[in-house]
This record gives sequence, structure tokens and C-alpha cells, in this order.
Amino acid sequence: MSIRVEHLKKDFSFYKKDMGIRGSLHNIFHREMLVKSAVKDISFFVEEGEMTGFIGPNGAGKTTTLKMLSGILHPSGGTVDINGFVPWERKNDFKRQISIVMGQKNQLWWDLPASDSFYLNKCIFGVEDKAYRDVVEELAELLDVKELVNVQVRRLSLGERMKMEVMAALIHRPKILFLDEPTIGLDILSQQKLREFLKYYNEQWKTTVIITSHYMADIQALCDRAVIINQGQLVYDGKLNDINRFFGEKRLVSIKTAETVAGEQWETFGRVREMNPRGAVLEVPRDKTREILASVMAALPVEDFTVTEVPLEESIARYYQKTG
Amino acid sequence: MKRYIKLLGVIIKYSLMSVMEYRINFAAGVLVESGWMIIKLLYVAIVYKAGVSIGILTPDHIMLFVGIYTLMTGIYMLYYGNFSSLPAMVQRGELDLYIVKPVSLQFYMTMRRLDFSLLAPDFVAGIVLIVIGWKRAGLPVGFVEVGGFVFFLITGSLLTYSMFLLPYLLCFWTLSVGGIGDITAALWDFNNMPSAIYGKWMQRIGTFILPVFVITNFPGLFLMGELSAGLILWGALVPVLVFLIVRCVWKRAIRNYSSASS
Repeated sequence: MSIRVEHLKKDFSFYKKDMGIRGSLHNIFHREMLVKSAVKDISFFVEEGEMTGFIGPNGAGKTTTLKMLSGILHPSGGTVDINGFVPWERKNDFKRQISIVMGQKNQLWWDLPASDSFYLNKCIFGVEDKAYRDVVEELAELLDVKELVNVQVRRLSLGERMKMEVMAALIHRPKILFLDEPTIGLDILSQQKLREFLKYYNEQWKTTVIITSHYMADIQALCDRAVIINQGQLVYDGKLNDINRFFGEKRLVSIKTAETVAGEQWETFGRVREMNPRGAVLEVPRDKTREILASVMAALPVEDFTVTEVPLEESIARYYQKTG
Repeated sequence: MKRYIKLLGVIIKYSLMSVMEYRINFAAGVLVESGWMIIKLLYVAIVYKAGVSIGILTPDHIMLFVGIYTLMTGIYMLYYGNFSSLPAMVQRGELDLYIVKPVSLQFYMTMRRLDFSLLAPDFVAGIVLIVIGWKRAGLPVGFVEVGGFVFFLITGSLLTYSMFLLPYLLCFWTLSVGGIGDITAALWDFNNMPSAIYGKWMQRIGTFILPVFVITNFPGLFLMGELSAGLILWGALVPVLVFLIVRCVWKRAIRNYSSASS
């Protein structure tokens, strides 16, 4: 199933509230309505079987776009055509062909094993008995959770629970899968396992996948194509390779030292972004991170260090600057 | 329809299974609801002790009416938790994952979990009171009487569902409906005693404008042969009418659903 989006918009109205009790009292009698444009005129096309990544900082409009594509929200303007369906008309035939997984929301029965929630979905989607048995067996095998499907959801770890959420979303073999921050809060290993599964599943079943994330690693591992959304606008739509040099090319290494280190000493290792007497934040090329870290450890009395990605907002700003 | 009955069956099964996970909580629920019920039964005891009749209603009739009220409370309490949790779910955007399912959202959101700890004591006590009241009052037990009685219990339940869901739907616009929830609870308690204890105007308002009296009074009045043809028609029609209204409001409400940021 392909997805065609044209001039999609979403405005949210809300009212202003000043700080404190005075603001609240004032609000009872007079409310000033404000409108926030979460999505402003977005257009793109996703082909059948394609895996597309939506990248953008928090509040960019990724999730709002996804919610309109899946029919959860009515847009304020624009059109979406998914094989002849308009998502927000919420026709059952449409719903049977899509699925959505949200990293921060769950659909499983908390006190029961996930297999019970799968069965409920089987009944809701009208999946045949044999097809249901096959899909549960296949997914449990792939996600390595055969032993866990019969354990109460409340006893599972976050990573295991997310795998079950993904399974529950795939019981009816949707043709389109929307994933909203599916790896949020998961440890590195669980993130990796989930990515591997999603990649395999997409290749195997040719499911069209749209994934939002603010982890570049998710998108890099899964998608050939990236759509960058910033402040409700589409700022890039194309091959992931072409933007990789703006996103994820650099790493930030924050180092704490046990003793005071002179400022000029840091400069020999990389670009210094921040500095204080007992530490610094260095910007280093991604592929040289280990090497540089090793030489810092050898030369300085390092107490602690962390490696993070360059914030997405900053990469987007840099992308803007370079492309004019 | 068959699919919905099957779904309801699965939900009933899962609700029971969930309850069994927390035995103490289940027992506490039964105890609390039993406590409420005993308080209500005291009314009946007082009526008997004083030998009070209300109009044409003898203490035996009153016992029958209180039994109907108790039974209907149990049925309402079975799914009431879904109504009261609706505002919080709307506020937190938790309808998202249910909207995308090919099933009536109203059905799913209002029947999602069923609470048997609240149903059990009311259900049992309600039926006992009805049977004793019915027998002692010497009311007929024919096919028409039992059929009509059950019919008005079913339409009364439909009316309860529709009438008491309606105020909670305001949460789609206002997000918080705590005060309205309290008012509906008070409205429900108007049925504590037969409507005959209220004045003429109250009875008319409670029958035709806010038809709360239809829910628990009509099955008993029918049994006593006190319902005119017009009222029988009204008792059959008003639940359907209110249900249609709640359907329309629900559809509008869902359009207004703005999810929540995540």
C-alpha cells in the first residue's frame, strides 16, 4: 500500500495561562485562545514496501503527522490517500490493513499474559485460527520471546513488553506499520534486537513502514529514506546517505577529570565545545571516537566519560546553513 | 453482531481472569459494595418496621422496587469503571490505540473492562429481594408478566447505559468532568426508593425529561398493571431514543478528540 500526502496541516487550539493563581483566576473569566500549527503544509509520497524514517526534534510534528496518517486525528487541511482510503474516515477495511505501535502507549492487558491480548486482537480483526497460530509462532520465534508470551505483562521488562506490543500490532499482518518512537527508553541491546526484527519483517512481508524517532541510530539501521520534519515543516526528503554527513557524523564526548586540566591540553584532541577546570565536551568524528578517547585516557586523569550524539536540532540547523 | 457477542465473551473472561490475579482486592470490592447494599437494605427494614405504604405501594411492593434498583445498580456497576476512566483516558490521549481497531470505539471503550466485584453482591441481593417482594405482594407469575418485566429490565439497562454515558462525553470538550460525575451519581440515587415517594411534578420530570424513573420503576409498575399503554410505549421508546442521541454525541465527541502529545 502506498501513501500519498498533500499539503497536510494540523492546528491545535489552546488557551494561554499566565503563571500562578492570578493567572488561573483570570482564566476562569477570560480565556485567550491561541492556535499552534503542529504540522504546516507537508507533502510526500511513500511507495509500497518502503521503510521511511521521520526524523525531527521533540515537538517537530512527527507524531502528529503519524496520527493523521493512521486516522487517529483529523487534519486541519490537506489530503492523505492510502490506496484510496482517507485515514480519518476510519473505515474498518482501512483499519484492517494498518497498525500503529507507540513507544509510550500500550494496548496489552496488564494482568494477563500477552498471548491473551493477542487473542483479543485476533477476535477484533477477525483473523482465521490457522493464520493466527502461524503468526504468533513466527513472531515469537523471530523476537525470541517464545517462553514469555505466557507470562503476565506486568512481570515483563520494558524491552520484552515492547516486543509484545509489536507482536500484538502485527497479529492481523497489516500492510502498513506506523511506529512512533518504538525504541524509546529501551537499553542498547533491546533497541538493536527490535531494529533487526523490523528490518527482517519489512523485507520478508514487504510491509510499508513509517518510523519516527529522535534516535538517529534507529533511522540509520532501518531506512534508506529519511524525511526530516522541523517546526511542523518538511525540511528534507530523500536518501539517508545524502544527509548522513550532517547527521550522525560527529559525536560528543563529555569527560570529567580527577584533577584540573589546562585549557590548551583539550584542544589537541578535538574541537572543544565546552570547558571547565575539571572537564570538557569534545566534538569528534564518529569513526575516530574510540581512538581519541583512548588517547585522552592515556594523557589525562580521566574520572568519567559519556559519548552522545549531536542534538538533532543542531544538526538540522547545520544542514540549513550548509545547504543555504 | 455475532462478532460483538464473541468479543464481549472474551472481555468477560479476561475481566474475571484479571480479578482473580488480585484476590484481596476482589474481596475488598465485594465487601465495600456489600456495605453500601446493607445501608440501602436498611430503608426496606425501616419501611417494614413502620409498616408504611406509599400510595398504592405496600412494604412488599417497596421491597420489589428496591430489589430492582439493587439489581440495576449491579448491572450499571459492571461497566461504570469504563465511564469514569474515560475523562482521564481522553486527557492522556489513550484512545489512540483503540481508534485504529476495526471495532466500534464506543462499544470497546465502554465495555473494555467489567467489574465483577461490584456486580456480585448487588446482583445476588437484587434478585433475592425481587423474588421475595414479588411473592409476598402476591403479584402474578405468567408469561406476559415475566416477559414484560424482563423486557423493562433490558430497556432500563439500555437507558442507564445511554443516559449516564452522556455526561461523561463532555470530557472530549472540557477534559475534566469530575463535578458532572458526582451529579450523575446523585441522579442515580433518586431511584433508591420508588418514584411514588416524590411529588407529582418530580415524577413527571423524572419520567419524561430526565427519564431516570423509567429505569427502575417501570419493571415493577408493569408487573402491578399500573403502566398505561402510553407509558409502556414510552418505556420502550425512550431507551432507543436516548441511545441514538448518545451515538450521535459520541461520533461528534470523537471528531473532537485531539489525542495528547507523546
